[in-house]
Amino acid sequence: MSGREYLFLRARHVKYFRRCLQVLPFTSVTYDTSRMAVLYFALSGLDLLDGLSELDKEERQHIINWIYSLQILPGNDRDEQACAGFRGGTTLASCRGESSCDTVSQLDCGHITMTYTALASLIILGDDLSRVERPAVMAHVAALQCPDGSFFSTRGGSENDMRFMYCAAAICYILQDFSAINTTSATKYILNSMSYEGAMGQGTHLEAHGGSSYCAIATLHLLGKLDSSLSRTQRERLVRWLVERQSGGGLQGRPNKPPDTCYAFWIGATLQILGALDYLDTAALRQFVLSTQDPITGGLAKYPNSNPDGLHTYLGISGLSLLRKDNLKPVDPALNISQQALSHLHQLHKNISKNSTVPC
Amino acid sequence: MGSTANNITTEENTTQAPGEEHDDSLDDGSDGEAWVFYRERKEWADITPVPQDDGPHAVVKIAYTDPFTDVYDYLRAVVVKGELSERALYLTEDAINMNAANYTVWQYRRKILRHLGSDLEQELNFCREMIEMNPKNYQVWHHRRVIVEWLGDGSKELKLTEIIFSQDAKNYHAWEHRQWALKTFKLYDRELDYVDLLLEEDVRNNSAWNQRHFTISQTTGFTKEVIQREVEYTKAAIAKVVDNESPWSYLRGVVQHCEGSLASVGDLWEWCQKMHDEGQCSPHLLTFMLDLMEDRMERQPDLRPTLLKRCLEICESLATKYDRIRREYWRYIERNLSHRFGA
Repeated sequence: MSGREYLFLRARHVKYFRRCLQVLPFTSVTYDTSRMAVLYFALSGLDLLDGLSELDKEERQHIINWIYSLQILPGNDRDEQACAGFRGGTTLASCRGESSCDTVSQLDCGHITMTYTALASLIILGDDLSRVERPAVMAHVAALQCPDGSFFSTRGGSENDMRFMYCAAAICYILQDFSAINTTSATKYILNSMSYEGAMGQGTHLEAHGGSSYCAIATLHLLGKLDSSLSRTQRERLVRWLVERQSGGGLQGRPNKPPDTCYAFWIGATLQILGALDYLDTAALRQFVLSTQDPITGGLAKYPNSNPDGLHTYLGISGLSLLRKDNLKPVDPALNISQQALSHLHQLHKNISKNSTVPC
Repeated sequence: MGSTANNITTEENTTQAPGEEHDDSLDDGSDGEAWVFYRERKEWADITPVPQDDGPHAVVKIAYTDPFTDVYDYLRAVVVKGELSERALYLTEDAINMNAANYTVWQYRRKILRHLGSDLEQELNFCREMIEMNPKNYQVWHHRRVIVEWLGDGSKELKLTEIIFSQDAKNYHAWEHRQWALKTFKLYDRELDYVDLLLEEDVRNNSAWNQRHFTISQTTGFTKEVIQREVEYTKAAIAKVVDNESPWSYLRGVVQHCEGSLASVGDLWEWCQKMHDEGQCSPHLLTFMLDLMEDRMERQPDLRPTLLKRCLEICESLATKYDRIRREYWRYIERNLSHRFGA
């Protein structure tokens, strides 16, 4: 490790996220259908930095309204509900008002990752989720599970893997309704994805991967199946694989790959869920993550001396938050929102269970 | 109408965008030729463009270029009409060139291809170009898989992934696609040779080691003979580069297929011991030795006092000398082994 000690540039990162909330350059156009995810990175990032107060009440309300405007409001028809949930952007949203033809309703569907990040963003902003169309969101999640237990992202056709399973588990946890998931086949899919290396890939036989392992373990945790699913030996091997990802201070996603900022969260949070985060050299990890900061624009990049982006900025910061340094609010490793936001969610859960008239 | 997009285009000039310089050239998707707006094309004169509606207080806006707004305004218009035509197919190509991650455009494109009964071989060529331009994009690979399924012909898939591996031999999407093609079309004949080739090029390629495990599990399976062969193969790879996690992990994976235990495979302990005696102290070697001893202690309680002492010495050397970054982990292993196998 170089002798240089990096400082955490909090104020710059607050500004970075503020700019993400406003407008992204055209080079970010690949996020056009996942603007909701970028919104979540920016909001949760500001929350961890204790910078949400920068948004006044009116601005927060505008954001809440924008999120709800991306919710698809279907009728009672089961097929229509399967296409519900939240969109990630407005590419096709204006088509719905113009026409009710099949092509529009087939293409303008909700996306499971956007539904998760929409709900997470609403919680972070202190919303009470009362405008969420719960039955439709549940029908959307249920319609996306494949026979092998994994999930698609959207009704219109997509790949199916561990990422979307995690989103399904997070949505069901947030809404406290697990009826949309066949947990037996989901758990089976996760265990079948455990490779000979001892960690999970995106599916059976695929190479073990830090991101997939996070999705797998966080899902088991959210479903309350972690302890019953993994044997002691499996857990020990997984912890070892995760700890071995520390390379040159930072964390890598797979063996013999360079360390990358985002795995500070993916690997760090998985270890945290397993109660083993302290086995890392956290000081070295912190220095690696700090070395990827952009001292001029703010934000964090994948690698040192690279261009920052919303995803790496957020995951780097939530990774640092796990280390309880830099005055960051503590993050909940399973839902990837601040513990304060999680407390707000738990309060909502209590209110819902008290008030049986609220439809679940 | 249309003002939302224009507002964004204006804002980009005044707002410093996060982290990146804005490229203000407007030639996206035009292959260097002068871009003709759809709104100026005669063959599109019958269509009224549908602007994007982002609402009055949109967040996370994107500074669309004028050609992008033009293309997507016409895309919305044909979607609203439910038009499934050659010109709409052409339009999706421009829309994809501008943003290959827009999964709804790909879905629309597939709907048109189906409706028109288009030449899917030609579609495979387009898709290959897109994959080569965006090798880490989920949508392009998904599209490829769907088209190959429609054709029922996976004969081009291995070659395609090999082109991608020549740029990045660890591309996860390409490996996933290759495994799918191998399974679906039973193309395993030369797969182990290909893995050999990749491992010769880079013995640290963990994806190739994983592929080796996959291929064997799908073909011969890990019979006694295969295990022995693989152990020898892996030992030779380790002899080339000892401090390489991938083959050590593979070795552990292979011997786990044995009835019994780690230690039941030939002379692994002697082989490790010899390397160690010759001065090798790679953490991967030491970790493997620990695993062998742990396995032995599980099965032979009488050996525990001697082996535990040796294990604790190794943990200590890892924590203080050879693998200091994981010292807290090795301290934990020390405690764990003492607790399980101590007096």
